[in-house]
Amino acid sequence: MKSVLHHFKISTFFLSLLFVLIFALCALQSGAVELNWHHWSKLIAFGHTMLSSEGLAYSLDGETYVLLHLRIPRVLLGVLVGASLGLSGALVQGLFRNPLADPSLLGVTTGAACAAALTIVLIAEQRILFSVEARAWLLPLVSFMGAFLTCMFLNIGATWLIPSSFSGLLLLGIALNALGVAVIGLCTYLATDEQLRSLSFWTLGSLAGANWTIVPVLGLVLVAVYLWCRTQVQRLNALNLGEATAASLGVCVPRLRWTISVMVALLAGLSVAFCGVIGFIGLMAPHLARALVGANLRALLPISMLLGASLLLVADTLARTLVIPAEIPVGIFTALLGGPFLMLMLRTKRHRVG
Amino acid sequence: MRDVMKQLGERRFGPYSLEIQNAETIAILGPNGVGKSTLLKLLSGTYHASAGHICLNDRPLNSWSADILSQHRAVLNQSQDIAFALTAGLIIGLGRVSRVRDIVCDQTVALAAAMLDVSHLLERTVDTLSGGELARVHLARICAQLWDVENGFILMDEPIAAVDPGLQDLMLETLMRFARMRRHAVIAIVHDINHALRYFSRLILLHSDGQLEHIKSGLEAKRALERLYGIRLSCHHDEQGDLVMVPLRRNTSEFKTAKQFQT
Repeated sequence: MKSVLHHFKISTFFLSLLFVLIFALCALQSGAVELNWHHWSKLIAFGHTMLSSEGLAYSLDGETYVLLHLRIPRVLLGVLVGASLGLSGALVQGLFRNPLADPSLLGVTTGAACAAALTIVLIAEQRILFSVEARAWLLPLVSFMGAFLTCMFLNIGATWLIPSSFSGLLLLGIALNALGVAVIGLCTYLATDEQLRSLSFWTLGSLAGANWTIVPVLGLVLVAVYLWCRTQVQRLNALNLGEATAASLGVCVPRLRWTISVMVALLAGLSVAFCGVIGFIGLMAPHLARALVGANLRALLPISMLLGASLLLVADTLARTLVIPAEIPVGIFTALLGGPFLMLMLRTKRHRVG
Repeated sequence: MRDVMKQLGERRFGPYSLEIQNAETIAILGPNGVGKSTLLKLLSGTYHASAGHICLNDRPLNSWSADILSQHRAVLNQSQDIAFALTAGLIIGLGRVSRVRDIVCDQTVALAAAMLDVSHLLERTVDTLSGGELARVHLARICAQLWDVENGFILMDEPIAAVDPGLQDLMLETLMRFARMRRHAVIAIVHDINHALRYFSRLILLHSDGQLEHIKSGLEAKRALERLYGIRLSCHHDEQGDLVMVPLRRNTSEFKTAKQFQT
């Protein structure tokens, strides 16, 4: 019995991995510029010359350039952001012990976007204060701080303001969301035309900002967070039994809560900094994963990451191919998917309670 | 534990003083709301004492690190709500969470599950278990936690309240045998007088004025128990010769509400 279950989980893992790869290949092929295998071989040839360090003599044609500098980083960013959102969703749900928790529902992503918006409108104006390079890293840092502060506030709220009441926590998230949206609205009002353009990018969410700098950064952070989760997975499971029981089992609950908050803020903050607010992936991916492999986080975390990556890849590919040559912000798509999904979840949850 | 007090909002609990020897079995009895759970939470370290000292093996309780402490004392709380549907086997395995590189984990889980007769439930998720099965799974988790140590402490808050009478005896019997074999002390909040008399060697009565009364389990506990609950008890010996105490019906004149029923 045990080995059958085990095999099922492993095959689910490889199946999800296969899905991500297939979706990634489809996403690479589709877009405003038609690509075929010819461009791939050119790209590989280009890679060879780069490696043998005669690279500069070789120039790329337009399509191969699109493939190397637009299509591939974008697909990779989609995979990474989707996986980050899936992982942070699973962590938040574990932390607050509720399947309805999600970084975007609880206001964490709005907190990050709000901090980013404030930075764009108020600080980035001061061209003297920051060089161009510094400004590129200012936004991720600020978004992380915004997400982290929101996480800490939720944490404090969950323990002091509204102890052990999840509806209270959701309401607190709604309040924080409303605050964040109001601040973003204020920023929009104050913004110049140029700032408005980049603000709407943040509030609607888009993967269009992908390039070869941010992909490795997010990749490294994601791998680091996931490796940390691997070492803590049993403690995170213990949190499931309630804080008092987890503490009696030898888990240092305050420190664990704090670390989870930092991890979630890192993932959510960086995702927002690079792609803006993309909601509901963090809600849907862990939920689907739980239905597939059960609640044990050892299996749930990787599956949730893979499903998050698949969901975001599909949404992004649709977003940029449906109305070629224009592009719909992907946040709109995920919200279109996620809204009904949340309603469905509320329905099944009510059935379980009743 | 000496002169320990706890301030919770406007209520003050204590001062409590008590000492627990290795392998002792202690039942804590008292009316609802006198602070039995608070006393147990002070002992388990869930609450920090507002005043006084709690020592475990001559070392202050709050100087123990959480993971080392968890290898000496296990706690079974009153309510166990599990947020997500984990499997029973995983829950029992969580008893071993503080061990680093625990190579005997699977083996211990299997043994603890077999002891409490839940081996067939290991792959089931907890939302499909009945109350009695779930209580046994949690008890197996406690046993797995203290499986390979001796002279530990097991603290329990009404461990068997939701279990049918046959299973109650089975669970207490198994637990006591386990504790005796490994010289663990068992401290449990119990509501059933006869369970307290049958399975525990010492009774701690927590009176509504906050006083602790230490008595030995047995016939001589009758007076103190009557005073504690404000009832009268009748003592019998059952077919096996064990002592049984049964509460007597109150006189109708004692019902203050009798008149209210009539009007």
